[in-house]
Parts: sequence; structure tokens; C-alpha cells
Amino acid sequence: MSVEVAREVVLEPTIFEEGREGRRGYALPPLDVPEIDLEEVLGPGFLREAPPSLPDLSEPEVVRHFTRLAEMNHHVDRAIYPLGSCTMKYNPKINEEAAALEGFAGLHPETDARDCQGAIALMHGLARMLAEISGMDAVSLEPPAGASGELAGMLIARAYHRDRGRPRSKVIVPDSAHGTNPASLTLAGYEAVEIASGPDGRIDVDALAATVDDEVAAVMLTNPNTLGVYESRVREIIDVVHGAGALVYLDGANLNASLGVVRPGDVGFDLMHYNLHKTFSSPHGGGGPGSGPVGVKAFLADYLPWPMPARDETESRGYEYYFDYDRPKSIGKVHGWFGNFLVAVKAYTYILRLGPDGLRRVAENAVLNANYLQEKLKDDYELPYAGRCQHEFVLSATRQKEKGVRALDVAKRLLDYGAHAPTIYFPLIVKEALMIEPTETESKASLDRFVEAMRAIARECETAPDLVLGAPTTTPVGRLDEVRAAKDLDVCWERS
Amino acid sequence: MPYVPNTDRDRDEMLASIGVASVDELFPGVPADVRFRGVLDVPGPLSEIEVDRHVRSLAGRNKTARDTLSFLGAGVYAHAVPSVVRHVTSMPQFSTAYTPYQAEASQGTLQSIYEFQTLVARLTGLEVANASLYDGASAVAEAALLAIGATRRGRIVVASTVSPQVRAVLSTYLSALDVEIIEAPAEDGLTAIPGFDRLCEGAAAVIVQHPNFFGLLEPVGEVVHAAKAAGGLSIASVDPIALAVLKSPADYGVDVAVGEGQSLGSPPGFGGPLLGFMATTRKHLRRLPGRIIGATTDARGRRGYVMTLQTREQHIRREKATSNICTNQALVALAAAVYLSLLGREGLRELAVQIVSKSHYAASALARVEGVKLRFGGPFFREFVLELPVSATVAKEELSRAGIWPGVSCGCYYDGMENCLLVSVTERHTKDDVDTLASALEAVIVERRGS
Repeated sequence: MSVEVAREVVLEPTIFEEGREGRRGYALPPLDVPEIDLEEVLGPGFLREAPPSLPDLSEPEVVRHFTRLAEMNHHVDRAIYPLGSCTMKYNPKINEEAAALEGFAGLHPETDARDCQGAIALMHGLARMLAEISGMDAVSLEPPAGASGELAGMLIARAYHRDRGRPRSKVIVPDSAHGTNPASLTLAGYEAVEIASGPDGRIDVDALAATVDDEVAAVMLTNPNTLGVYESRVREIIDVVHGAGALVYLDGANLNASLGVVRPGDVGFDLMHYNLHKTFSSPHGGGGPGSGPVGVKAFLADYLPWPMPARDETESRGYEYYFDYDRPKSIGKVHGWFGNFLVAVKAYTYILRLGPDGLRRVAENAVLNANYLQEKLKDDYELPYAGRCQHEFVLSATRQKEKGVRALDVAKRLLDYGAHAPTIYFPLIVKEALMIEPTETESKASLDRFVEAMRAIARECETAPDLVLGAPTTTPVGRLDEVRAAKDLDVCWERS
Repeated sequence: MPYVPNTDRDRDEMLASIGVASVDELFPGVPADVRFRGVLDVPGPLSEIEVDRHVRSLAGRNKTARDTLSFLGAGVYAHAVPSVVRHVTSMPQFSTAYTPYQAEASQGTLQSIYEFQTLVARLTGLEVANASLYDGASAVAEAALLAIGATRRGRIVVASTVSPQVRAVLSTYLSALDVEIIEAPAEDGLTAIPGFDRLCEGAAAVIVQHPNFFGLLEPVGEVVHAAKAAGGLSIASVDPIALAVLKSPADYGVDVAVGEGQSLGSPPGFGGPLLGFMATTRKHLRRLPGRIIGATTDARGRRGYVMTLQTREQHIRREKATSNICTNQALVALAAAVYLSLLGREGLRELAVQIVSKSHYAASALARVEGVKLRFGGPFFREFVLELPVSATVAKEELSRAGIWPGVSCGCYYDGMENCLLVSVTERHTKDDVDTLASALEAVIVERRGS
């Protein structure tokens, strides 16, 4: 063991280092039936010798431990969180109240349809709204996350092509795509073909045309793309892809910029996924749960995962809403039940709060805020793809790198200024990338504070680079040794 | 618009500093023929008062275990959720943060997930666990993918007593790959061991659920032995509460343990969000899907936590990643960590003992009803299957009129089980609840016989 470990300072002990044998934080009512002798009833062969070594704490100790942990987090309710492609917008509190209602939270998925009409109606309504917003014809809420929606989408593409003869073998993704795109299409049995972006950050339509052939099942596009640039030649792109009999998939991670401004289905996209935890304001929860509904045009609707919420206005069953399990062409199930339903409740509540005008104003203000930041920062940092951005833009710290400061260092220094850092080193096609997405829920004052911080850091890179290289200094811990974490793997607490 | 702070004046000032006259000019890259010029046909805007009224009316059209006497289970359970769990998971510091990309500003999330990983490792007895997966079903599918990668084999054997939902998701995940899925037959509700070793030949993995869909304890040792003898991996989908008293997957030599963790502090939520967990041996650590949190130190020797072994993941490895998962179920994992910390060693054991005691009391009480018997003979944990002299669907209908939901009809999932009910009992049920169900069931059966 190294010397460093011997001197290790612990800010908050793990829960396993706290408490004391004999303490308990929760009590059950007294057992009102005869207590079973486990050995006698289950048989000794099934029983473990020693109970799992869980911690022993009282309720106040548990609350204090997790409260102290909570205090070490940056979060949206505190300050700007401009992670590009993550759409870290404010999470309305009424959404949480809605999802916590006993009629939703307490609802069991095996409940007979007649006794969960409100829930199926909500799912049916949300699916219809998502279809309307995007210009798609049918939406399944089942995928529990964006990557799951991508997998469902790619399996739908596969089923479609198989029904037309053969599934084909390749799917094209631009080099600026999210990493989930190539990972999802691989799981769907396809080979990833990457095409390079052109000098303006957009897809090189000629290169695409030269690559698309009858082995290509689909092209996965993000639009606006991860540089925050709208693919202006989107109609040509779609024509080229359709010309080869392939489908055009939209990665909806960046849908926030399109609400009420562009409907992807009108433009010609065949299928897409949505991220309810990005565009539709459900909280990210430190990494989840999310929700990644998949939407398709009518000719692909039969392939959507089963079951689908459905409505029968004649009420021939005795009730109006039901789940349709009779879907012989479906790709199957991608979630044990109906997806992350409580996340769907939050998205539904959000859309109702906003209405059509509100949704458009979300997109307009997201784009306004991003352009404002881009304009204010483009003199202090390199802007590799100039021009108007959409909801996000990508700066490069190449100028700062000449002074020995990398994008990573700028990101860490931002934490000292009370902001979260942008997404860094993504998209991969920009060196020293700082990908910034402010979202519509930041005020001008908040954006101005962020500009001041970024400018101050740019000055520090010139005059006092050590300040930036040594950052962060105001966070609970200083810069952590990731190399050591991967080398001396410690992924599970053991008393040393 | 309460969620957008920009006023008209803010907007005008910002447009001026950008150097454009209108918001419309911010979209020069979007061709005119692509712009949507209509008005979206969605409802709203509603004020908070109106939207509250609306969602409450929808919620009011759903019935739960608060309005009825419910014995529904089958993978999702209405265990009691301690008040502390919701309190902690509602903290915006946890709920409104994202994936901890900047570790120094995310120590709360990172440490809580590290603790979750450790708790999963301790329950399963295995060495390493990941930061969570979507649900127990996708966890089984991801475990199968791990085994396929580790063995380079294209055959998966899954017990037919694994939950039907889980098998459905498994089959979707593997549908595009060149993989054959074999369902192992059951006898008396348990994986049939005679002939099982032959099924395992050439298999990448064997998947068993313990307790299984019917609540029964499976011969996990024999299943694992057969998998090992055939050179494949063993995957066990386990119930985390049952692990308080049951032998751990590691005790059986299981290679990958997965399961559904919703029962640890989360409500049923109409089936989502749920919580998939996965643990394995060090040998397979680098094949794990999703996030893994590791401990390290900063330059001053302070202990801290980071996402580690990221070269397995999609954002680095892209098409060669171990999985496509990015977003996971971090907040639900936090709920599980808080829940397990509150109950602790003794509390979780007591919970398991109460569940076994109450489910066995219920099984005897219900089997005493004339014409009713237990379908299977083996030991069970929380759930058991009743065979009725009438169709389970009919009995459910009649009982629901009296506000009682006696369980899940097995006939929806298994041929020849139309008269069978899967009854789930938790610590929330009282002796009176069970007695009420027994006498109501008796009345239904007597009435049916009389008619």
C-alpha cells in the first residue's frame, strides 16, 4: 500500500464505517402470524450462514450521512450546468408532485386495465403529444433511456428491411455522433460505418451519397448535430438515403432546439427517439432514470415494442383505454413493463404547463441563450465552427493549450467559479472541445456570470496558468487521480 | 412563461449584442421549407392549479394497494417505503444533478453509487458490481451479452421459470445477434434437472431465477454445476430481500448475479422506474456494462470517487463498447442504498423472516379453502401459486368487486395454468388481510359451485 493511502483524509466516511452493531434505522410492526422457522420450512440447504454485512445505523445517522453527501454535489437548482448535449434545464417541481401521487407511484403494473384508466390515458396522451411535436405518427414510451430508444429504433429498421427481403448489414453514423449510436446499432447486428463531417461541421452530402448503398439499413443523424449546427441540407441528405432504400433515424438528444420550430417527421425522418430527461424536463437524477420513447412514421408503426397503449372510444370492453398486446410484427419488449412511467408523468405535466406557444419559446430561448454565450465567448476561445448555433456550440481550448492549459483544466477551474463545466472532449472531431448548452432556463444574469467566469479563466491562462492547472480548489476534493483509480481498482469498500 | 426567465427586454438586449434583429434570424441554418409554421396541436398552457387538478383526476382513475386489498407481485412489489428514502431521493442535490462527469463537483452522487455497488456486492457475495441498469429484465439481457462475449459462444439456456417479462426482453436484446435461446423445461415449478446438463452443451450461459417466477427456490447449485461442466457461465437473477436469509449467488459459484431492485425503497410506479443490478467476479470486471465508480485520492491525499474503467463504455469505445447503456437508474440506486442502510443487517433479516412467515401463513390459510390447493410442493419465499377449482380470471373478477385483488393469473403467461393464481405477500399484509382474502375466496368458490 502506498504512502498516500496512509495519509488519506476522509471527508465523509463510507456508510460501512459508520454506525454500530445493534443500531437500526427502521422498525416493522410486530409479526401477527406465527414466526416461521426458516430451517424447517425452507430447508437448511437454502440458507446462508451469515447475514450480508449491511451497515447498522439509526435513522438520524442515515439522514446525516446522505445529507452530507448531497452537499458535495453541484446541481441544477444551485447554478448553471451547461453540459453540451445533456440539456440540463430546470426541473419544475410540479412534475415531481404529479409523479408522487399515489394513483401513479403506487400503481402496480399488473393492475387490470379497468382500474388504471388514468395511467393508460396519460401514456396514450403523451405518446400522441410527442408524435405531434415531432411529426411522427406513432410513439412507444417503453424504452427506459435514450440508448434503449436507439436500440429499439435499430431493431425496427432491421425488422422493416427483413420484411422487404433482407435486414442489410450496415448503418451510417457521422463522426460527430454520440457514442451510443454506434454501440446501439452494433447490438442490433449492424456494422457501423463512420462518415467524416465537412469543413462547416455538417455532413458531407457527396461523401454520404458515395457511401450509401443497398447494404445500408439506416443513417443515424443528430440534428441539430453535436456541434450545435443544423444540417441545412437535411432534405437532400434524406433524399439520398431514401434513394438507396435506407431509413433515416433521428437521435433526438437535441430536440430542445426544434420544439415548435421544426418537426423532424415533416422533413422526412422515418424514426427517432426522444429524451424525456433532456427536452421534457424530468430530472437527471445523477445519471438516471431517464426515458427514451421511440417514434416512427405510420409505415413502421407495426414494429414498435409491445404492448402499446390504445383507445377504444366505443368502450366495447367496458372501458376506454387498454394495452394492445396483439402486435405480431413488433420487435418485442425492451423493458420489463411499460418503460419509466413516472418519468412519463413528469414529461406529460411539463408539456401541459407549456402548451404549443410555450414549447416554441423553449426552443427560441434555448437558441437565443446559446447564441448569446457564443457571441460573448468567441473572442476569448477558439470557435472552430463559426456562424449561428442552435441550442449549443463548441469552443476549443487550443489557444489556451499553447500556454499549457487544456480543456480539462478550464473545466476544473469553472467549478471554482461556481458553475458546472461544459461537456469536454466531445464531439471527438474538435480538439480540446468545450461543448456548451446553457438551455432556456438560464437568465441573462446567469449567462453573464458564466461569461465573466470563462473570460476570467482565459485571462488566468495568460497570466497565471498555475491557478487553472491547480483547479479546482473550492470543491470538497481537489483534482482526483483517475489513473490511480483505474490502476489500483477499488470499486467496493473493504475495511483495510 | 414561468420556466423561461428572459423578458422581452432581456431578449432585445441579447439580440442586439448578437447583432441580429429578431429571434427568427437565429435560425439561418434551418431552411425555410423545413421550418414548421403552424401551431402544435397539443393541449395547454395550463397554470399549476389547472395542471394539478388534471393530473389528480387522472391519478384518481387508478386504484392501488391503498384502495384495495392487493396481493399483486410478479416482479414488482408494494413493500413499505420508509419516509427517509423519499426524503433523500427528493434532495435536489441528488435529483437535479447529472451523470458525474466532473467528479470533484459530484462526490455525493459518486460516493452514494460506490456504496450501492458495495451493498450489491455484499448481498450477492460477489466481488464487484456496477452502478445500475434499467431493470431486472435488461440486467439479465446484459448478463447474457457479457457471457456471449466472454465465451464466444452463441447459445443461451434460460429456465422457463424465469419471469416471462424478463425472457421477453432477453429475446429482444438477442434478436439481431446470431444467438440461439433455449428454454429449459420445468417440473413441479422448478427447473428440471434430469437432462439439463445436455441442454447446457455449448451454452455461453445458463440463466436461472431464484426465487423463480412462481416464488419457488430453485436448485441453483445443480444449475450452476451443469453450466460449469459445459464450460459456460451461470447467471442468477436474484431477489435482494431474499438474500438476507438465502445463500448468496457466490455461495453457489454463480458467475454473474443480476436482479430487480425496485423492492428496495421504490414504489411500484406502474412498472418504472425500476432498478437493475449486476455483480460478478473480478475476472469479468472489465466486461461489465455501464458505469463503475472507483475510489481514489486527490493530490492532498483526500479520498474521492470517480467513474472508472471508462474504456469499456460507449462514449469512449463506441461500437466496441461492452454495452450501449449511458443513462442508468442512479436515483433508484440511491433509494436502494438508503433503504439498505436504514434496515441494516438485522432489519433486512427481520423483513425477510416476516415475508416468509406471512406468505406461509397465507399459503396454509388459502389452501384450507375447499377445492383450493398449492400448485407446487417446493419451498417458496414471498409468492406462491394457488390452484383454484375455477378459472383464475373469473375468481379475480368476482373478488375485485369486493375490493380484493388476489394475485396475478398465471394463465396469461403459462399454458395449462388458467386456474392458477400467483399470490404475493409482503410485510404490509396483516393476518386480517389474509383471513379476509381466504373467506372471500371461499365465498366465491361456494357460490360458483352452487350455480
